[in-house]
Amino acid sequence: MRSRVAFKILLHDRSTTAGALIGVIAIVFLVGQQISVLFGLFTYMSVLVDHGGADIWVCSKNTDNINGAGYIPERYVDRVSGLAGVAWAEPLLFGGASLVTRDGKNEAVQVVGLRNPRGAAGPWRFYQGGQDGLLEFEGATIERLDAKLYGNPQIGDSIEIGNVRVRVSAITQSVKGFAGRLVFTNMVKAQEIIKSPPGRCKAVLVKLKDGVSLEAGLAHVRSMLPGAEVLSADELSRMTRIYYVKNTGMGGSFGLSTLIGALVGIIIITLTMYTGVLQRQKDFAVLRALGARKLDIFIIVLAQSLMIGVVGVFIGFLLLAGFLSGTLDSPLPSYMPLWIAPVLAGATLFMCVLGSLLAMRKAISVEPASVFR
Amino acid sequence: MLQPILQLESITRDFSDGRKIRRVLYTTDLSIFPGEFTIIAGPSGSGKTTLLTIMGLILKPSEGEISIQNERVTHLPENRLATVRQQKYGFVFQQAELLPALDVLENVVVASGIQGQTVSAGLRKKAGELLDSFGMGDCLSMTTQQLSGGQKQRVAIARALINAPALLLCDEPTSALDSESSTIVLDALKQLSKDTTRGLIMVTHDPRVFPYADRLIKIENGSIVYDSRPQGAQEA
Repeated sequence: MRSRVAFKILLHDRSTTAGALIGVIAIVFLVGQQISVLFGLFTYMSVLVDHGGADIWVCSKNTDNINGAGYIPERYVDRVSGLAGVAWAEPLLFGGASLVTRDGKNEAVQVVGLRNPRGAAGPWRFYQGGQDGLLEFEGATIERLDAKLYGNPQIGDSIEIGNVRVRVSAITQSVKGFAGRLVFTNMVKAQEIIKSPPGRCKAVLVKLKDGVSLEAGLAHVRSMLPGAEVLSADELSRMTRIYYVKNTGMGGSFGLSTLIGALVGIIIITLTMYTGVLQRQKDFAVLRALGARKLDIFIIVLAQSLMIGVVGVFIGFLLLAGFLSGTLDSPLPSYMPLWIAPVLAGATLFMCVLGSLLAMRKAISVEPASVFR
Repeated sequence: MLQPILQLESITRDFSDGRKIRRVLYTTDLSIFPGEFTIIAGPSGSGKTTLLTIMGLILKPSEGEISIQNERVTHLPENRLATVRQQKYGFVFQQAELLPALDVLENVVVASGIQGQTVSAGLRKKAGELLDSFGMGDCLSMTTQQLSGGQKQRVAIARALINAPALLLCDEPTSALDSESSTIVLDALKQLSKDTTRGLIMVTHDPRVFPYADRLIKIENGSIVYDSRPQGAQEA
């Protein structure tokens, strides 16, 4: 009966209920949107590592993020390739350059050079063309989302990057990096564009044979290359993300905006729930006089906050799904790992209860004697 | 010998405004017997509502003991007092004080389920029958906003009776009603007072209600100044 009373009061006090619902929806949407953008940026930060297809990355000593890796000898590839347990090893080269747009402007891009024919760490989604396009001597990819900025070059069109002419041989789909717009080309052309020292690359990607443990593989490569940083792909990915969160102020910025989103929601919930209880003080006094204990009144308000929480979370997630769907394949980074959803829902319900604490306190303090005044 | 349902022994009540203590109810001994319509009358500010709320276990006395059905309840913890109120008391307030969020039937059964008890189909049936006995059988699913003042008060009486209380306490239940509705409500209460398992107490300042009383108690300035059945008369 207590939960029914709670439910009926919510239905009856529509404006209060709507206000509290807005608070919950605000929490879910604002916090969820911030988290999804943060995770979207995370995916950009370590995009090459996450999509490289390698188990182990060999970089310059003391590398703490992939985009800050220095040059290492390309001959490491041959040394690692010969190790037992290694399926393949491939060099990777990347660096900044200027792309000249059709109207003569310069746009900064991140050129990634792959060794053919494997093309390890190459693009993973194509809008037009495919990996084969990179087999062409002058072939390079551009990103669909950046194409407008470059003047909408089409497949087969020539563009100039770092004073080197390349030909658009494929257009990628939502393949974006954190350190700049990604342009993939072959190793030779990348060396020419970036003007990297001869015989040098930025990383060596190592794939282990099936059945070889990662720990054993790492130990083996480390003993072979003591002058290099040898990391698992997961470790390098995590270190890269941590580097940016720590060193760009991004962590604080997103943390603050997430906190503000949550606070705005809690304040809305607190005010509306409290107002609702103020309006219903007489009803609570009547219930107390009829035999309700403070616990029963507490349960009624708690049930109300949970009901508002559940409905608000549902609506909030619908809006969030709309946001995520709308920003898919758009320039705005947004990605929400599945495990975030239950955590966000649980945290929102907790905040909902937190927001109704003041209302609960007011409700249980109502004196039954006030009915007689 | 008829046993009192409610006994007040040397009850007093003081209120404090932070600076001084004011006594609003002087030493009071009172026994309420079943099967009687007891009316407590007095002018505004005389202490009659304070006495009613003390009898209803809503206000704690400053001194004295309260017993209901021979069980001392004065020093019970708050939660236990709430349970005693739910099980042994029925309240009818000055305004009906129905919950506007609930329909008529729910307003009656809420008194049974407010501590988390399941509201069974049998209880709903009983509530329906109670409402029917007050001429409200056609209004079970109506909202309280659709009812007149008299109808609301009859629903409130049904709510007060749903747990078959030992005591029915009424706080000026007719003061907000027109004379026709007042008569209906008073007739209903008079009928209920004949039940020998239940005591019925009504507080009022309206002398037109006095003829309904089996026992009239007058209170002035916090003291009982008249009792048509003096203490001990019932036992005799």
